[in-house]
Amino acid sequence: MTSIHAALEIGTTRTVLAIGESEPGGRLKVTCHAEIPSSGIRKSQILDIPQATQSIRSVIREIERKQDAEGAKVTIGNAFLAVTGQHVKADPYFGSAQVEGARVGDDAMNEVLRAAHSMTLPKDRELLDVIEQDYALDNLAGIPDPKGMAGRVLRLNTLQIHAERNRIQNARTAADAAHLEIREPLFAVTCAADAVLEDYEKKNGVLVIDLGGGSTGHAAYTDGYLVSTGVIGVGGDHVTNDIAHAFQTTNAQAEGIKIREASAVLSIADNLQPRIKVELGENTLLDNRTISRRALDTVVNARMMELFTVIRETLEDQDLLHRLHAGIVLTGGGARLRGVEALAEQTLGMPARIGRPIHVDGLEDEEFPAAYATIAGVLLYASRNYEDHSILDGLFGRLFSR
Amino acid sequence: MNSESPLLLLGIGTAGSSIAGGVSRAFGPGLRYALLDTDVVSSIPDAPFILLGGDRLSGRGAGGDVVAGRLAAEETIRNLDAHLEGVRLAVIVTALGGGTGGGATLETVKHLADRGIPAIVFATLPFTFEGEDRQRNARGVMTMIEDFASASFFIPLDKLVAETDSMEDALRRAVGTLASGITLFWRLVEKPGYIRLDTERLRHLLSGAGRGRFATVTVQGPGRAAEALDRLMRSELLATSCGPVRATLCGILAGNDLLLSEVGTIADGVRGAFGGLSFDLATVNDEATFSGRLSVVVMLFESNVRTETEPRTGGGVMSGRRRKSRTALNAGPSGRGRFKNVEPTIWNGEDLDTPTFVRKNLSLDI
Repeated sequence: MTSIHAALEIGTTRTVLAIGESEPGGRLKVTCHAEIPSSGIRKSQILDIPQATQSIRSVIREIERKQDAEGAKVTIGNAFLAVTGQHVKADPYFGSAQVEGARVGDDAMNEVLRAAHSMTLPKDRELLDVIEQDYALDNLAGIPDPKGMAGRVLRLNTLQIHAERNRIQNARTAADAAHLEIREPLFAVTCAADAVLEDYEKKNGVLVIDLGGGSTGHAAYTDGYLVSTGVIGVGGDHVTNDIAHAFQTTNAQAEGIKIREASAVLSIADNLQPRIKVELGENTLLDNRTISRRALDTVVNARMMELFTVIRETLEDQDLLHRLHAGIVLTGGGARLRGVEALAEQTLGMPARIGRPIHVDGLEDEEFPAAYATIAGVLLYASRNYEDHSILDGLFGRLFSR
Repeated sequence: MNSESPLLLLGIGTAGSSIAGGVSRAFGPGLRYALLDTDVVSSIPDAPFILLGGDRLSGRGAGGDVVAGRLAAEETIRNLDAHLEGVRLAVIVTALGGGTGGGATLETVKHLADRGIPAIVFATLPFTFEGEDRQRNARGVMTMIEDFASASFFIPLDKLVAETDSMEDALRRAVGTLASGITLFWRLVEKPGYIRLDTERLRHLLSGAGRGRFATVTVQGPGRAAEALDRLMRSELLATSCGPVRATLCGILAGNDLLLSEVGTIADGVRGAFGGLSFDLATVNDEATFSGRLSVVVMLFESNVRTETEPRTGGGVMSGRRRKSRTALNAGPSGRGRFKNVEPTIWNGEDLDTPTFVRKNLSLDI
């Protein structure tokens, strides 16, 4: 049975809506997606609900226009929501259970699972996910499947990912006003990781860095499961702001300079074209202004190196850095920045590559598929966990025709 | 030993001693140096030698154990004092990743810092094939060395060899390349020239210089200045680092045939290629050594590895740099721009919404 779902990402720089459909072979295909520039968002947080609502309305209209053009029509009533921002936290937690009859059976497995999912959060926090890690049986740790093993006390280690309830509620409010029901909030960073990673990479140890516009998330995997994740409120917008501050440009000009000219690494090649012309637009008298390429790259390099250093120090504190043998996978629109792979390699001391959604079809023709890792991961989660035409449900979903 | 020279070369560990020994042989009489090792077997005959951790390790080496190397140095580093009289600047050559190089280098740099002697550290990083443990040992000690050294050069051994080298050739080439580079550096400081770089000037230049990159080239024949510049610009040792350059030191060594135009070509080329807020030039005229040849030494110092505003640690030798509180917000400079009304991002006491180049005091040649 095929299922069809929608995913919404209210990002700092863009709002993305996508429809995914599971195919008979089990693969997921993104059948349509649309994106428009966001407004009212800073550092992955909604600051202006009416503006965010307008962004969501616009992206819904855009996806409907695309559907019309293709001769298909889906009126989206609900969507899974990608959540990120520095308010998202991950805490370790474990559940334990007594083993009856000296061998681990179904009762102990069920009991330990229930206990591991029973963490009580403060009222202002909302649980996004519970990541099950390894089992421990008495003093023996690192057990992937303890069923049938002898022991007395079974323990299941988990990572509990939770977020500030009000931040999620703001997104729900904005979506509701745009007649879109939020079906389930999902952590954007682990969704992106699931979309771009192979299982063997997770087993060998890998780090995903999701470079967003307003924040940057990381997810580290070893032995097949998530061991560390977090979000820092620094993203591509900070690079833009730094450029604007350094060269006294508008944010729009700085964004243009970043996209067209900036590099995260400094190189001798900077001297081949030492000056860059700043596009100031039509309504200015300063039409011949140039800036130093080396100065530009120095500004960008300093910011990005600091960002990677924060992640490196986080992983060093957790004694994880040396266990990530499969290297770094970069996702998100921020991974478009020239030289960012090289800088990540230098700063974190391991090979880096740009990720692309490998478990999802339909995004192959995108110019930069890594920018769609999160939305692909959200759809992947939905298709793996819900087998229904759920896109029809919701506040205002009414029509489905193909 | 030339007790008059204010410049002292210290080789630490087996590899560091080997490189220092190579410098001694190449430079000839007048080089003031000493070797420090936990292993008596690898010591070089007739070289000034300080045994580290004699009681603890009985001269058998640290066995690749960084902690053993550090403890050995901690117990016996005072034996170095006899070699420090009149020393104004110490140059340390070492190999990180192993026990003595990793552990004793840090203790040595600390000891020198305690006595007010600035140190320049040339440290090799392990070959990739040596494995993750040694790489990790090296990485772990790098930042701590930076806390106490005036300037430090971390040189990946992979970049000193060719992929087609045999194992034996690779090791010999790596040691030889580094030894010849440091020898050139030594001549730059110790030999007379029209633009002199003596120990005091070097001491001033390198004060708090931080992490740097280092490369040398030697050429001869027609067009040698242009060729030297071309090779420097293609040098992996200079090009692969990612940090912005704050200061550049360029040394030119040649015989009496050194032309003014050659100095101009190299100086302008290096200044243009690598940038930096300050640029210093030194020349050495040594007909006996360089007749017909021209050598160039380039040192680049990066500015964003550690700023002068960051505190240095006084203790906690193996605990890494002390990090600032992650909760206190420094009253930093402005520049939050579009982030001025949103929840700040604080890390190690710094407001990350403020532009990094502002907080790190990076000057920009706009």
